Amino acid sequence: MIYYLIVCRSLTYAQQTAAALERAGIAAHILRSPKSISATGCSHSVKISQRRLAQALTVLKRVDLTPTQIYITEADGSYREVQL
Amino acid sequence: MIYLDSAATSLQKPPQVSRAMIWAMQHCTSPGRGNYSAATQAAETAFQCRTALAELLGATGPEQVVFTSSATHGLNIAIRSLVHPGDRVVLSGYEHNAVTRTLASIPDVVQQVAVGALFDPASDLAAFAQALEKPTCAVICTHVSNVFGYILPVPEIAKLCREKKVPLIVDASQSAGILPVDLEGWEAEYVAVPGHKGLCGPQGIGALLCGKNSNPVPLLTGGTGSESLLQAMPDFLPDRLEAGTHNLPGIAGMLAGVRFVRQQRPERLLRREQALIRQLKGHLVHIPRLELICPNDPELSTGVLSFRLAGQDCEEAAAQLGQRGIALRAGLHCAPLAHRTAGTLETGTIRASVSPFSRPEELRTLTGALKQMTEK
Repeated sequence: MIYYLIVCRSLTYAQQTAAALERAGIAAHILRSPKSISATGCSHSVKISQRRLAQALTVLKRVDLTPTQIYITEADGSYREVQL
Repeated sequence: MIYLDSAATSLQKPPQVSRAMIWAMQHCTSPGRGNYSAATQAAETAFQCRTALAELLGATGPEQVVFTSSATHGLNIAIRSLVHPGDRVVLSGYEHNAVTRTLASIPDVVQQVAVGALFDPASDLAAFAQALEKPTCAVICTHVSNVFGYILPVPEIAKLCREKKVPLIVDASQSAGILPVDLEGWEAEYVAVPGHKGLCGPQGIGALLCGKNSNPVPLLTGGTGSESLLQAMPDFLPDRLEAGTHNLPGIAGMLAGVRFVRQQRPERLLRREQALIRQLKGHLVHIPRLELICPNDPELSTGVLSFRLAGQDCEEAAAQLGQRGIALRAGLHCAPLAHRTAGTLETGTIRASVSPFSRPEELRTLTGALKQMTEK
């Protein structure tokens, strides 16, 4: 399944991000970021479905929770950063 | 036991507090440290607690709520972030040692005490205005005196600070849970609260609320579960100030306490406390040799009442009450500055303080015991 990971700078921001998305009806799941995309060692991400990204970005902009990075899954299971 | 020392620690808690703590010990590990259920439950509990505290205490977002071990811990962070050697600080005449000892530990800090006539908010405010005529690095003000229950005019002092562009630290140890505390409305830099007093939570947990533009300096460094490759502490809240494993049972207990307070409504809890203290004053005023040390206007104080007995040591009197099963606090209450302000530094006072679980008959029992003691 293809999905997006919204990388957040802290667990609390990830929780705020997920809460904002859930309030807007977008299913959001918090997880520790895969090591391969954690440039600074450890971080948390919010996982959302591929088809909800545009709506999610609109919601997050409205509540002033701009993501630091966004990744999409590749067919081989790796992650590719999405340029916004 | 009749417990009347809730200004130190509320002893009777809503039963859901201990239940939440036991649940947390059995089901939660550390927030953010794993993708397994015990870590995510811990994370969810911490987030709910931050959110509830932010809503109760006027913070915009949960990231502004930093967990501490106590209000003292939070005040240390706040003071050490804003005050540097040689700085001049303006503080109220009712500050606790959590403030004054911390200031005294920073070399050459000038502590300018702003105090007007005793228990007079208007003259206290005028004293702050006058003190702020000189360059000042920070204002520190307790919201309510832990000794006398006197409510300081913090919203007006905050307005003065905004006008003078001086950062404000509020010690809300005695007000959180009963009075409006408003970090953003006051534009305070920091507000420190304990979990174990008016918020009805356990000991060992509290919170420091950080203003949007604050730049706090960590007292502790260590693991945060974030940015682990970097050897500097993260530059974002709350991680910047939360090194090490969280006190999750404490957080869960504080969350249950905050929910109780919000469900009961702080303004209702305050009115009940004030009614109890009015009743107690009405009894005690008739006891010869007993001197009340409190504001005349009952609206200017919370559920705390200080008094002393002429010719009797306050500690010995409190010990006698303790032998009768009545728990009160005597002495200086870790606030010698407040006693100096009120002129009670030499004698100290005996302090009765109530909680949401105090009952009128308990105050009648205290009155009876004091009558017997003073008739001897």
